[in-house]
Amino acid sequence: MSPPKRAAPASPRAAETRPKGWANPWFQLALSAAFVTASELCLKRGATAAAANNLDSAWAWTGIPGLASPWVWAGIIALVISFLGWLYVLRQVPLSHAYPLSNVVHITIPLTSWILLGERIGPARWAGIALVLVGLIVVAKPFASLEERL
Amino acid sequence: MKNLAPWLIAVSLVTYVIGQLYLKRAMDISARAGLRSRSFVSRISLGIIAMTVSFFLSLGLLAHLDLSYLYPFQGFSVIIIAVVAALALREKLTPRLLFGSILITTGIVLVSLS
Repeated sequence: MSPPKRAAPASPRAAETRPKGWANPWFQLALSAAFVTASELCLKRGATAAAANNLDSAWAWTGIPGLASPWVWAGIIALVISFLGWLYVLRQVPLSHAYPLSNVVHITIPLTSWILLGERIGPARWAGIALVLVGLIVVAKPFASLEERL
Repeated sequence: MKNLAPWLIAVSLVTYVIGQLYLKRAMDISARAGLRSRSFVSRISLGIIAMTVSFFLSLGLLAHLDLSYLYPFQGFSVIIIAVVAALALREKLTPRLLFGSILITTGIVLVSLS
């Protein structure tokens, strides 16, 4: 399986031709990350509820009992929507730029787990989240400046 | 089987990267040739197959190894994909992008180890 080759639009200047509003790929990237975050929260809630009902069952280890929970199905649907959004983003933005930015989920998932699920975040984890945030700002800044000028 | 774990992690990472490359290539083709062209269908299929293999390998590894051990490898995918996209898709890899990717990877590793 040889990797595919092509000449990609590598510069932020390619943003000049990008759609605005809902069709803007940066908005879709943010939406895709939001759906991944929602999916993880739903899956966690559904899996926890399923495990509580089948704690002694060997099936509980396979994850299959989770399919009985509507939360798990909501998580699966959210994941599919996020995947479709990701495909749309890939159509508009170079992979080397879109993929690092998609890692915003490493900030949103711990934060929402902390706020909505009451999970604890230690100092080292806060430091890691801050580092991811700085990395995202470093990667995103040239694009943000360009979009502002347009 | 435990001795195979590093190899399975590597295969999972490689198939994930290959999957992302093929998905990107497929979506580029779809913009020019539409969603019914054979080259789009073949590449999107290869991308989804590679991502599926990576997903199930990760699930199998998760069943036997700690998440905190496996998660940092996912963080490395940020740098690997930025570099491989520059090489295979001829995308521009600026020092700023590389530096940002290194920061994100370090942050993910820190989050998973804490």
